[in-house]
Amino acid sequence: MPINANQRFNALMQGEIPDRVPVVCNLFEQGARELGMSIETYYSRGEYVAQGQIKLQEKYGYDNIWGTHYTAQDCEMLGSKKTIFVEDGPPNVGHLILRSEKDIERLTIDESLLETKPFLELLKTIEIIKREKGDQCPVLSAVIASFSMPPILMGMDKWLDLLLTGSVKIRNLLLKKCSDFCIMKTKALFNAGVDMVSYSNPVATASFLSLEQFKTMALPWINRDINTLGPQGIVYFNGGGLLNPMIDTIIENTGVGAVYIHPMDDIRQAKEIIGGRALLAASINDIPLIKWSNDDIDREVKRIMDAGKEGGGFIFGTLSMPFGISHDKIKTMLEAAVRYGQY
Amino acid sequence: MPIIKNVLEDYYDAVFDTNRDKALDVIQKAREKGVLPEDIVFEVVVPAIERMLSDLTTSHDATLAQHFICSKVSAEVTDAMVPLFRQEQIGRGTVILGTARGDFHGLGKKIVGGCLKANMFVVEDLGINVTPEKFVDEAQRLSAGVIGVSSMMVHSAKGDDGARGVRKLLDQNNLQEKIKLVVGGAPYRFDSHLYESVGADGWADNAIEAVKIIDTLMK
Repeated sequence: MPINANQRFNALMQGEIPDRVPVVCNLFEQGARELGMSIETYYSRGEYVAQGQIKLQEKYGYDNIWGTHYTAQDCEMLGSKKTIFVEDGPPNVGHLILRSEKDIERLTIDESLLETKPFLELLKTIEIIKREKGDQCPVLSAVIASFSMPPILMGMDKWLDLLLTGSVKIRNLLLKKCSDFCIMKTKALFNAGVDMVSYSNPVATASFLSLEQFKTMALPWINRDINTLGPQGIVYFNGGGLLNPMIDTIIENTGVGAVYIHPMDDIRQAKEIIGGRALLAASINDIPLIKWSNDDIDREVKRIMDAGKEGGGFIFGTLSMPFGISHDKIKTMLEAAVRYGQY
Repeated sequence: MPIIKNVLEDYYDAVFDTNRDKALDVIQKAREKGVLPEDIVFEVVVPAIERMLSDLTTSHDATLAQHFICSKVSAEVTDAMVPLFRQEQIGRGTVILGTARGDFHGLGKKIVGGCLKANMFVVEDLGINVTPEKFVDEAQRLSAGVIGVSSMMVHSAKGDDGARGVRKLLDQNNLQEKIKLVVGGAPYRFDSHLYESVGADGWADNAIEAVKIIDTLMK
């Protein structure tokens, strides 16, 4: 009798070899297409997102279900008045809430943010998918690390300016507030029933920082974000930057149970660095999926599996699958992942 | 010119350490020792940019933070030095920069702008969420030779409101020879042929390469 996704992940977390490599597929706005509605309408109600995510999971059969909406929703919780919706991609922040030091000082993080409409809609999504699918597959949600949150509040260039050339006092004040938000949201997500939280930290990757900068600037905040509640259920996600040089320090300092690397990170090297201390999730480069042939996709999935699956402790994943990837390509990728992921 | 060599070494080390204050201090001290503004720009700032490209392509370990500081300091120093030049420099042309409509990521474009300024290009930065019409209108108004469209997201890179829309307008108005189109940003890095499919004349993997490509297209 085939095992379900929960059993597959449980086996992995207990250090056993499951029937095959679990597959995490990050389809978000595609849920709107399933329901035949615009992305803006889709995200207007938690029920729609739940329906969309359930349909996607049932259609493709991957091993997770997403209880998350979109990144800009965090800004809405904090008072951003405009989110830009497009027809074929993720929503964008259209109103940056931090434009001066005074704005940073005025930013208030407290439990009332968990009563805002965007978060309540998210809780509805989680409640429905947990109820409908929670006994079959793990429910994932997402938070932004404190160190990577300022770009969506003030813009990336302003954040790098503050980080590298600005006032240490103001920088630390902002990071403390972002960390408080991260911890509060993580706790609320687990309380709502999610099984895993993806902790996304793109600015603290080797694409942005040297290892020395990572250790001095970012690590204290990563420790605070994760260690306040403990690493249970946290998946450390690259967020779009190279992670391998930071993996050892992350595991040593936080004890996270899973590390999710970038498509350009070397999988074998990551596995060697991890050395059995955590699970490794490797991402396919999902942007070329739009135009790759089925043979290209098959070859790339096989390469990833060959590099990572031996000995277990391995998950096949994607980044944020672009809206433009066709149904056939998604299906081809997932079928190949099941085929080449068999133990 | 050993003094210039030392200035270059100290300046580059400061930029590589992402230490803006130290980099500006190196320039200030060089000026006090009598180094000419022209030499600061052409013997220090521009070679430092070139060297960062070299370090990037040989060791692949330059980070976005280093790019950001290199660009920022380069632009700051160049803006301060150019008015002090003994002879007015002949500009290398005007470049219109902006992030595609529907995309609110401005970092890459900002880094490119700083490096272009240090290389004596006139840069008009239109900001984020820019329509194809605005790109082309501003390019015509300012007699620009190149439009640079940045995209961080796949839909803004491939969509008709991004570079593809700019290409269409350039073709419709017979401007394809007069105004060249370059693109940059994460989707182009993940798919090195994407720039051709959106109708761009070129793309760059990083800001320093962008200077070289834009320079080539301007000629």
